[in-house]
Amino acid sequence: MLSRTAENLFWSARYIERADSLARLLEVGYRISLIPNTERGYTNEWESILETSGIKDEYLKKYKKISKEKIIFYLLFDPENSSSVKNCIKTARENIRMVRTAVTLEVWNAVNSSYHELDKNMKDTKSILKELPEIIEWIKRQVNLIRGTILNTQLINDGYDFLILGTYFERADFTARIINVKYFILLPSINYVGSDIDNFQWSLMLRSISSFRAFKWAYGGQEITYTKIIDFLILNMTCPRSLIFSIEKINHHLGRLSKFYKQTSTSNKKIGLMYKNIKNLNANKITEIGLHEFLKSFIEEINFVYKKFEQKYFFGLET
Amino acid sequence: MYNEVYKNSKVRKFYNQIYDWAKSLPENVIVKKKNEAENLFKKIGITFSVYNNFDSSERLIPFDMFPRIISSIEWKRIKKGVIQRALAINAFLNDIYNSGEIIKAKLIPENLIYKNPAYEIKMIGFKVPKRIYSPIIGSDIVRINENIFKVLEDNCRTPSGVSYMIENREIMMRMFPELFEKLKIETVENYPSYLLDVLKSLAPKKCNKEPKVVILTPGSFNSAYYEHSFLADLMGVELVQGTDLFVNDSITYMKTTRGPEKVDIIYRRIDDKFIDPITFDSSSLIGIPGLFDSYKSGNVNICSAPGSGIADDKAIYSYIPDIIKFYLGEEPILENVKTWRCYEDDAKKYVINNLNKLVVKEVHGSGGYGLLIGSRSSKKEIEIFRKKILLNPENYIAQPILELSSVPIFDKKKLSPRHVDLRPFCLVGANKTKLVDGGLTRVALNKGSLVVNSSQGGGVKDTWILNE
Repeated sequence: MLSRTAENLFWSARYIERADSLARLLEVGYRISLIPNTERGYTNEWESILETSGIKDEYLKKYKKISKEKIIFYLLFDPENSSSVKNCIKTARENIRMVRTAVTLEVWNAVNSSYHELDKNMKDTKSILKELPEIIEWIKRQVNLIRGTILNTQLINDGYDFLILGTYFERADFTARIINVKYFILLPSINYVGSDIDNFQWSLMLRSISSFRAFKWAYGGQEITYTKIIDFLILNMTCPRSLIFSIEKINHHLGRLSKFYKQTSTSNKKIGLMYKNIKNLNANKITEIGLHEFLKSFIEEINFVYKKFEQKYFFGLET
Repeated sequence: MYNEVYKNSKVRKFYNQIYDWAKSLPENVIVKKKNEAENLFKKIGITFSVYNNFDSSERLIPFDMFPRIISSIEWKRIKKGVIQRALAINAFLNDIYNSGEIIKAKLIPENLIYKNPAYEIKMIGFKVPKRIYSPIIGSDIVRINENIFKVLEDNCRTPSGVSYMIENREIMMRMFPELFEKLKIETVENYPSYLLDVLKSLAPKKCNKEPKVVILTPGSFNSAYYEHSFLADLMGVELVQGTDLFVNDSITYMKTTRGPEKVDIIYRRIDDKFIDPITFDSSSLIGIPGLFDSYKSGNVNICSAPGSGIADDKAIYSYIPDIIKFYLGEEPILENVKTWRCYEDDAKKYVINNLNKLVVKEVHGSGGYGLLIGSRSSKKEIEIFRKKILLNPENYIAQPILELSSVPIFDKKKLSPRHVDLRPFCLVGANKTKLVDGGLTRVALNKGSLVVNSSQGGGVKDTWILNE
């Protein structure tokens, strides 16, 4: 397959996943906006949403101050925000369009109609807050539709691997970033432990990766504690948003590519090592290392894997 | 004006069934089918490859459902004539880039070749693989009367429109399968495999295994991108852009996920000047640095060869009958349209005194631009052209205003005649020529108009060659 084809497939899936993550972040923001602003810390939530999506500076440059309507518009539709949901879907579509024959008609239709329906759902800043739940629902539905058609209709060949890798590189990065922005609320602190604030913050974090209910199921309705959250978001193989889950997937699909092309690369070795290490960890060990330090090196390592993978398959540089 | 359907107000024999069918369609069915055709176009377009089922601005040349029919006897002559021209054109290109016999024989003025902007000096003396410069030639043919078909121009660089020929058929077969049971119609679906076969026969000198063919496109924003991906898809070859290719040690590779893969034959759909920024236009971002060197060292073939365009220059066109006689020793099967070359004094004199009766064309223009149709132009427009011709006579040719033949279209709800032309696509490989029995019929949709170019209100029809 042409390197460009692989690259286009990878990025289209990656942008779809990003649109999904943004929708979930906004969902958290929406829940907060329903709560009276008197409690300390809650308004900060919008700022941390901007931070998590890595666009706080650009936002402030354009709008000067934090306003929830403007943030929502910026994250969803603003054409100047290169990673707004609209631009994510647009870029995903452009990538697929370039390699139209590498995906099935169903996948193309799902992506293409999402792109065209998006304009219909576009709202101005005035009514955006009221319409937000519906817009978020719509985005999640589209993403699930696209992913479903990929799983159900694509040939399971190298092109499929590149699509799936796009999804999980993005997800690993996103989950790591969202925990990192919030790592301070997962620190054991005498002042907060067991307080309502903690519980609320933690539940928000779970919701932002759509795992609130899942957490309850996984831990049998036990009380939320920070170690359980660390365990769930980082180390639990049953949670599809956990870091270990993404790492396992990346490891698996890089392995498949390596077998398929009968070639191995540095990225294979590195991801294998990451997987092995994360399997042997537990929440207490992570607390010992320091959550922030752990995430920092995790992000660095996964970026390294990506760089090597990119050099090998997209740029044709042997590594 | 020759009407292809009626003869003395009676319907010609081979149009009988189609005519009855068209007449029997109720108005509401015509409207419904028209919409259906449009939707199918969008859908098939997508199925086959790309594309923009909503961004229809790029696509959707209007399609008319009334087919254009050519009898097998008529077709046989057209086919022979088109192949003859294609062979002569390739012999001509081979000659003018090598020994120049036709110039020595004083059949064509030296300046017309060597000073022609389309003549590529860098190609002089280079032996192109199998001596085929232009493997795909689309000649535009018009019908004058019962017996006479004339060639209006030849397209030797990268003629487009073949995807419409195939799609138009696809649409008709889906919408009106019953017609294909009534009439025996030659198929056109072999074109992509013919094209692949012909290209593969043109492997470069240093290729000693199964040659790897790719199609080179300027990118998805090019107006013909649809056709590029359509062909790549049906031929089962990679559609590459300049950035997918690179040259190392004079060998051309494409970047793949398995690593670099050698490329042997490039069917390029980009202009000469963009193919290699080192050799040609240095500002080209869509070209491949070093490609021309790789080509000249026999590691890769570029189809069509750089410099092929001179053969479809409108000044050279008028010499094609001589070219056919000179290289093939045959009489031309298809006539040329009478052409006055304005650089000849007598011709110039005639042209500037008879502008209202003539079509004047810029020698290097195409697509229906830079054109004067005397009978339909204002005095002012004619005066502008008169001055232009006097100032720069080499730049113009003139032809009589041709009454193109007509075939009906479904205009609103009833049948109404419109002018048409025909573009068959002739393929020339090593010791072989291939031509599917069909072509692209272009139709001027505006009443009375003679301009069939899609950029100027032209549409397309399915073309049926009868198998009798």
